[in-house]
Amino acid sequence: MKNDTPANFLEMLAYFISLQIEDHKVVYVGTGLPMVAAILAHKTHAPNITMVYESGGQDPIEGDMPWSVGDPFTWRKAAVIQEMAYSFGQAANGYVDIAFLGFAQIDMYGNVNTHQIGKDLTNPKIRLTGSGGNNDLSSLTENMVLVGLQTPERFPERVDFITSVGHLEGGKSRTEAGLIGRGPIAVISQWGIYDFEPETKRMRIKSLTPGISFEIAQQSTGFELLKPDGDIPETSMIPPDVLDVLRTNVDPNGVFTTMPS
Amino acid sequence: MSTFSYNQEALKNLNIEDIALLDRLVDFESARESHLNKVKSKVDKRISLKEAVAEYVSDGDVLCDTGFSYVRTCHQAFFEMMRQGKKDLQMIGAPNTNQSYMINCGLVTLSHNSYVGAEMRGTDRNYSRQLKNGKVKILSEWSHGGIAQGLKAAQLGAPGLFSKQMLGSDIMKYNPYIKTMQNPMRDDSDPVAFIPALYPDVAFIHVQVADKYGNACIYGPVVNDIALAAATRKVIITAEEIVPEINLRYVKDGAMIPFIYSDAVVELPFGAVPGNMPGYYYWSRQWWEKLMRYAAPDEEKFKGFLDEWVMGTKDQFEFVEKLGGAKWVAEARRQTKAAESNNEDIDFRYQEYTKDNKADVYY
Repeated sequence: MKNDTPANFLEMLAYFISLQIEDHKVVYVGTGLPMVAAILAHKTHAPNITMVYESGGQDPIEGDMPWSVGDPFTWRKAAVIQEMAYSFGQAANGYVDIAFLGFAQIDMYGNVNTHQIGKDLTNPKIRLTGSGGNNDLSSLTENMVLVGLQTPERFPERVDFITSVGHLEGGKSRTEAGLIGRGPIAVISQWGIYDFEPETKRMRIKSLTPGISFEIAQQSTGFELLKPDGDIPETSMIPPDVLDVLRTNVDPNGVFTTMPS
Repeated sequence: MSTFSYNQEALKNLNIEDIALLDRLVDFESARESHLNKVKSKVDKRISLKEAVAEYVSDGDVLCDTGFSYVRTCHQAFFEMMRQGKKDLQMIGAPNTNQSYMINCGLVTLSHNSYVGAEMRGTDRNYSRQLKNGKVKILSEWSHGGIAQGLKAAQLGAPGLFSKQMLGSDIMKYNPYIKTMQNPMRDDSDPVAFIPALYPDVAFIHVQVADKYGNACIYGPVVNDIALAAATRKVIITAEEIVPEINLRYVKDGAMIPFIYSDAVVELPFGAVPGNMPGYYYWSRQWWEKLMRYAAPDEEKFKGFLDEWVMGTKDQFEFVEKLGGAKWVAEARRQTKAAESNNEDIDFRYQEYTKDNKADVYY
């Protein structure tokens, strides 16, 4: 099933995420795009990664796309299915190299809100999911990558509720709060890839999607984005052979990579 | 006057006036007393689900969720609690997937949350509405890992443990049980979160196979359930099948809950319906879509949905009939085996539920 239409935003995002995954690493994945990306990385440049899931599955044999992190596809013929306390313990103990999380809101220090829109937990405008494993992975994993669509509402100056600490108030405040690991190393949106300036730990543009100017990225952000020194690089686009793998071998039914109509 | 020392900032933020509500969950002495008083000999503990709910679920109990999201959750036991009109339970919603249906009828009025929603099926708009309407009050907010550690501490016989999770987050401001402390082993500054051992009142744990004494075997993700079985005051095993004890004496394909934890055993085929039971049936994706997308956003529609599916059925067999009967069972079995790589791969594509869905089977 050869398909020559250009990559859509979700396919591009999946590719950008997959580039964060180095071979021979242990990758902690949630459902949705991170999983698509991890499987894409596995089938292209990172054939030796090991995937770990929150409900306990580890190193499953690939199958269809799981709909839940407890779905049989997350522990399919896995040699080990761990209890949940232990799977987070692996992240604390240095056995997880990188994890991917989503967000409803993210601020300039990579703090994440998945709890609510509104400030009052007892009476929010909208109650969202809460932590699940989001806080655990953010607190413990060596490298965090945060993934989501970029709008001013989703990238506010301050998140309504800190579900998961990124770099807290910048500088050394994450470590001083007692948390483990380097914290967020990248934020990936449809407009660009961001890292964090090493001293202040503020979000900084690393590269922008081709055709996206600094002004567009800034207008989609509720705080001042830092720029890299010199020209802003363009994010490399998904090569045709990788797009083909994505469409034929990773998410052939387009469960997670079809744009909502 | 409480004998426990709660996080005062959280009590204030959550507007908790009756702090005695919080005590059961961390009351080690009464949990130990319950465990001491259990029947320890191997007696036939089989009863019906109706009897188990009537006898072991008391109004006001702290109930803990089991399984994980759509997987191996004891939905049919929850439905029976609703039918019997139990009231005012505290629900530990970890790792919950939209069990907010228990709030609408007053079964659950207090919640300890770590997750509210249905993953790829979306956020739980019913919970959001019930919270705003004051039908449910939050007693504590957690991460999945935090709850798992509290139950694990109880299983280990420890008063609690020091965690590196939740530190610095706003969760700490809304959890009366957790305190930030200095790691006593270190001279340099090293904040840790003290998480107390957690002792729920009651849990229904759905398993693939159990014997009549309550030895129970879980295949697939165990999640918190072994620790939970050790911690909880009243443990009811519901099982797809009851097998002879000898079948469970050496098990290489699963994890065991020992019979001494179990107060009662219920033979309950389809006990996890409409969720997924590893080895037995896949979950009904269309049922969840109907619930989350068409019923949950609207109070009246949601009530109608529950009246039809829960109050309108007397047991899990009638529920399965409504899902599509033998046709649904055959397809759900085929799907879960394929998902687990225990038969040939099949095509997992299906039609998402829409308002115009006239299908006679909820795939």
